[in-house]
Amino acid sequence: MFYELLAKIDRMVGIRRVKAHCDIPCGIYDPHQAQVGALTVIRMLDLMADLTNAQKTPTLEYHNSITRHIAVKEEHAELVKREVRVIWGDYMKQEHIDKYPELPGLVHKIMQLGSKCRQGISRETAMDLLAAVNRFAEIYWETKGIATKRVKAPYKPGEEIVYPVL
Amino acid sequence: MLYLLKVEGSSLEPDFVEGDFVLVSKIPFFFRPVRPGDVIVFNHMLYQTMIKYVERFEPETGEVFVVGTNPGSIDSRIFGPIRLSAVMGKVIWHIPKKRV
Repeated sequence: MFYELLAKIDRMVGIRRVKAHCDIPCGIYDPHQAQVGALTVIRMLDLMADLTNAQKTPTLEYHNSITRHIAVKEEHAELVKREVRVIWGDYMKQEHIDKYPELPGLVHKIMQLGSKCRQGISRETAMDLLAAVNRFAEIYWETKGIATKRVKAPYKPGEEIVYPVL
Repeated sequence: MLYLLKVEGSSLEPDFVEGDFVLVSKIPFFFRPVRPGDVIVFNHMLYQTMIKYVERFEPETGEVFVVGTNPGSIDSRIFGPIRLSAVMGKVIWHIPKKRV
């Protein structure tokens, strides 16, 4: 209750700031890009399946589109791995691992699933990647003291995604 | 003598997180000197008003070695010890924002 009162005063008059400085960029970590990367992998697999089902006789246009989808799938699976690696390496500390013993295994799982998504075309694997990244995002926001909610992404492929409740 | 401040940054996480409020005063130092474990606020020429833990205090030289809890913290490991005269006070009341 006292915090809410101070927060209100801060909004009105602007309480002076004191800096708990970190390495630049200080505290700017967000798992959202990794989540969008995982969703993109699923979306590319869906587009590839649609394209292949519709095109019985491959044309040059088909080859062009499918190549582009594969390239984006590759790029975003790698993006997932990179974003998670940065948060894991630069933000997560021993006390986080103590509180969430699943973290090291979860990060390793994301690395492996990311590679599998690059190598293959399994939608199930891509869904596993999204689930693992969502769990990683939940843990990350919990370490920041921020609650989360699970909602369907408001765009295709419309799969579940974890958002911070700000 | 008494300052109400809001924490910015993550170098003292998880003890102090961005958005927490702290009440800071110099009065405790009239009764006992700065000592390891104190959370102090001080002025730094480059980084301005900062909050850190005291790791050690050298009474002979008046130098205070300050550190953060985050491995990426910018503190005395980077900019060296601070002068005791730069210390604004000690955190006497921590008003944390709601944690999950």
